[in-house]
Amino acid sequence: MNVYLLQVVNGIGIGMLYFLLAVGLSIIFGLLRFVNFAHGAFYLLGAYFCFQAMQWGMNFWLALVVVPLLVAFCAWVVEKVLLRHVYAQAHEFHILVTVGLALVLQEGVILIWGPLGDNVATPEALQGVVMWGNFIYPKYRLFVIGFTAVFALALWWVLEGTRLGSAVRAGSESTEMVSLLGINVFRIFSLVFALGAGTAALAGVLAAPIRGVEPFMGIEALGIAFVIVVVGGMGSFAGALVGGLLIGIVQSVMSTLWPEGARLMIYVAMAAVLLLRPHGLLGRG
Amino acid sequence: MARLGTHFQLLLVIAVALILPLVIRSGSLATEVLIYAIAVAGCNLLLGFTGLLSFGQGIFFGLGSYTAGILLTRLALPLPLALLAAVVVGALAATLVGWFAIRQRGTYFVMLTLAFAQMFYFLAYSLPTLTGGDNGLLDVPRPPIAVGGLELMALKTPWQFYTLVAVCFVIVFWLLLRVTRSVFGRTLLAIRDNEERAAAVGYNVRLFKLAAFAISGAVTGLAGAFLAIMTGIAPLSSIEYHTSEMILVMTVIGGTGNLFASVLGAAFYVLFSDWLSTLWPRWLLLLGMLLIAVSLFMQRGLWGLGERLWLAVRRKPPADDIDAPSATESRP
Amino acid sequence: MNRRNLLKMAALSAVPGSLWAARSALAQSDAIRFGCPVPMSGAFAANGKYADIGMKLAIQQYGTALGRPLAYTVLDTEGKPATAVRKVQEQSEQGTRFFAGGILSSESLAMGKEVEKGGGVFITTAGADEITGKDCNKAAFRWSVPTFGAIEQTVRPLIEAVPKAKRWYTITPQYVFGDGLLSAAKNIFAEKGLEHVGNSYHSLTEKEFSGYLTNALAAKPDALLILNFGSQSSDTLRQAVSFGMKQNVTILVAWASGLEQFEALGADLCADVYFGAQYWHGIDSPLNKDLVKRCQETLKVNPNYSLAGSYICTKIMLDAIIKSGSADPKAVVAAMEGMKYDGLTGAEEIRAGDHQVLKNYYLLKGKPKSKMKDKDDYADIVSSGQSFLPLAQTGCKL
Repeated sequence: MNVYLLQVVNGIGIGMLYFLLAVGLSIIFGLLRFVNFAHGAFYLLGAYFCFQAMQWGMNFWLALVVVPLLVAFCAWVVEKVLLRHVYAQAHEFHILVTVGLALVLQEGVILIWGPLGDNVATPEALQGVVMWGNFIYPKYRLFVIGFTAVFALALWWVLEGTRLGSAVRAGSESTEMVSLLGINVFRIFSLVFALGAGTAALAGVLAAPIRGVEPFMGIEALGIAFVIVVVGGMGSFAGALVGGLLIGIVQSVMSTLWPEGARLMIYVAMAAVLLLRPHGLLGRG
Repeated sequence: MARLGTHFQLLLVIAVALILPLVIRSGSLATEVLIYAIAVAGCNLLLGFTGLLSFGQGIFFGLGSYTAGILLTRLALPLPLALLAAVVVGALAATLVGWFAIRQRGTYFVMLTLAFAQMFYFLAYSLPTLTGGDNGLLDVPRPPIAVGGLELMALKTPWQFYTLVAVCFVIVFWLLLRVTRSVFGRTLLAIRDNEERAAAVGYNVRLFKLAAFAISGAVTGLAGAFLAIMTGIAPLSSIEYHTSEMILVMTVIGGTGNLFASVLGAAFYVLFSDWLSTLWPRWLLLLGMLLIAVSLFMQRGLWGLGERLWLAVRRKPPADDIDAPSATESRP
Repeated sequence: MNRRNLLKMAALSAVPGSLWAARSALAQSDAIRFGCPVPMSGAFAANGKYADIGMKLAIQQYGTALGRPLAYTVLDTEGKPATAVRKVQEQSEQGTRFFAGGILSSESLAMGKEVEKGGGVFITTAGADEITGKDCNKAAFRWSVPTFGAIEQTVRPLIEAVPKAKRWYTITPQYVFGDGLLSAAKNIFAEKGLEHVGNSYHSLTEKEFSGYLTNALAAKPDALLILNFGSQSSDTLRQAVSFGMKQNVTILVAWASGLEQFEALGADLCADVYFGAQYWHGIDSPLNKDLVKRCQETLKVNPNYSLAGSYICTKIMLDAIIKSGSADPKAVVAAMEGMKYDGLTGAEEIRAGDHQVLKNYYLLKGKPKSKMKDKDDYADIVSSGQSFLPLAQTGCKL
């Protein structure tokens, strides 16, 4: 019985990172109505920029702030230069341009840093484990839970409590209305895209000490993000949280219960949700 | 000019089948071009003609491979029967996936096809006794085509196999051309352009979409079977997400305006990647850039590019193309 | 990796004439053609990159054989068996008969069969037992040690070195290869009276091992046996260390890649962890010392496993061609069967019955940064030896 409790806690740890990975994708979908296949690539960039920054001597805490902002800026530029011109096209091109972008970014990473992965050291203060009787858990993962929770609150406040957030939420319902109200819709799109990419990059920075960096980490991240967003509900912040935690806990508990089937269960769950509640557990059309 | 007659496209297709052996030294490479051309045409039927962006084509491709592989290795069925079975399995699987997927539209539809693609991948991985798991199904034979003990056609050398694939390729294309030019095909176009209107007029939209899926799956399954027989293996990677992605990429690069563009897309991708991969391991970077360029400037793909050049040379204004997907779908 | 030298190397590779009749200076009609089918793009691109360099090094070293120039092409398999087979078919059509490559088991199995059909010679470093077991054939050879030897030469010596390790937990990728490693390990556990306190299977795409490690910790093991490979073994090790397992658990990564893996992980993670390896640049044998010297001179790096493996595989074929006096694949195969030579790991022999090279497998132990003599001195060789299943038990019928 003890083991299952540990697995649940571990699952929350995994789940919070999944939430962070998924929330950006969910928000982008909510407003821009297309799935950003380059989302995993921004996660990848976050991890690699963090790695490089630390190679240059920056400490992890500074990188945690600087790197997501940098990646968000890059995404903002990408949206203005590339995506904006695609909005008028048929919707398959929205998806395909991000597929192309993902390829370019991934191969670009390999060009610069090589195809072999690398390690990112856990910051000194967070090395080691926390021990509570039988419960052993890395300090760093606890930090990730805490930090992500705080970030989630901040993000929620931005979305619910600020004018920008209201504009974003209103824009998800109807862009015409929003622009009729005098708000520059295109500027909001850029901001949202940047925000989504920035959260993905933040997830990448946080994941780097746990997973290291390697050029194909973006593909796996994208797969997980899709599952979370679909299960939780596309366009829903709370859905990303619930979906992330649910999948994280299921994955962790399955490692004890039925390890081989863990991955299959995730996709079965996704398909089931899509069939029974197509808009996700907490989504709205 | 933009609307290509069925006969003209068929001529082009036959021309390609005849010219490839003159231009490409390797029989296997030429055969792979045609195999993917078939698969891409199947994808194009869904994307270009019905407006459905399916990330699940790898499912049907992989299942076609496995079907042919299992029947040839376990039951030693004659080749034509194995191919037929692959067609049927592909159609059935596509009907199943389609039935669930078309309950949704737009991005949700795409996500469903993705979810199914992942599920089938994990199913194939988890049933190693049937599929060979990660190793794939090995030792798929290439028996000669024989009728009642009389050998009609040997398939040992790459060019002999190419001949078989080329003949099937022309036949499949001819059938698809007939389908797209028929009333059924016109209805698909109507559904692509405005689904609500088509439904309002009285068409059973779901049935048409399902039928399109079935045809697409059948054709894609056949392509998968050919690949398995050519390489002697039905690998796990054929049912992977990456296969679906690449088939879609080939479709878009070629152009979604007509079926022959699918041949262009497949030929371009297969030849380009084969050649470029020996020069620069990062060739996927260029492919990504090409995708971006196509999405931004060349939505009609390579075919559209060719069209524009032709028109520029002849200095005529572009003709009205009823078949082109309307660019008025703007969102946001 | 010095870019200039790499570009010099790149000039050696022949442009394949799959379209029209592209000619390059080296694609002369009488050249003996080699193919290097390895993943150059996709998840195993790192291995492919160095394997390519390894073959280049060998080809450049020999220059000619039997008075004929040597030419080679790299074939990007993308890690996909069907692509690999098709490209090998393509090359065979153009007269290439000698192939050294195949990093993944799935592509190697498929290529081995294709090369046999095309009447060539194929030598690989992939790990699946079937390559020289039930799927062996006349054309395929394998240089690396399969699962039985890998476990025998790591688990046994580790039991000697750490006698208090009585409770073992295993983490295993769920497919034939993983099962091969696991059953070999279980046999040793049973024989030595050790307790196998648990096993976690996982899929080949898994990256999150915390659940399995939590499970492992609950079983209170003395030793953690990691049976996956590549980036999965790096992920498992990294996460195991983060859970503090290095403190009171002996960790063994049975199928490690050697230098490239140490570079990716860093010395701090690897210190005091045991690794099983097919090759280490620190091996004291004349050929290895020569290879290290060559690499240092031309590329300014030490050879890693992918490079060394590809180098020796190419060299074996070249030596066999010279020995048999002919470039006819059948003659070369006959020369290779039973061939004894000075290999990278010392005296090596190609067993005629299953085409398996009999060579050492190494148990390495990571050392702390303070003890590293140079930037590549990540580990010391603890023990080495040869363990192979007797021919009758391999399932190979040649």
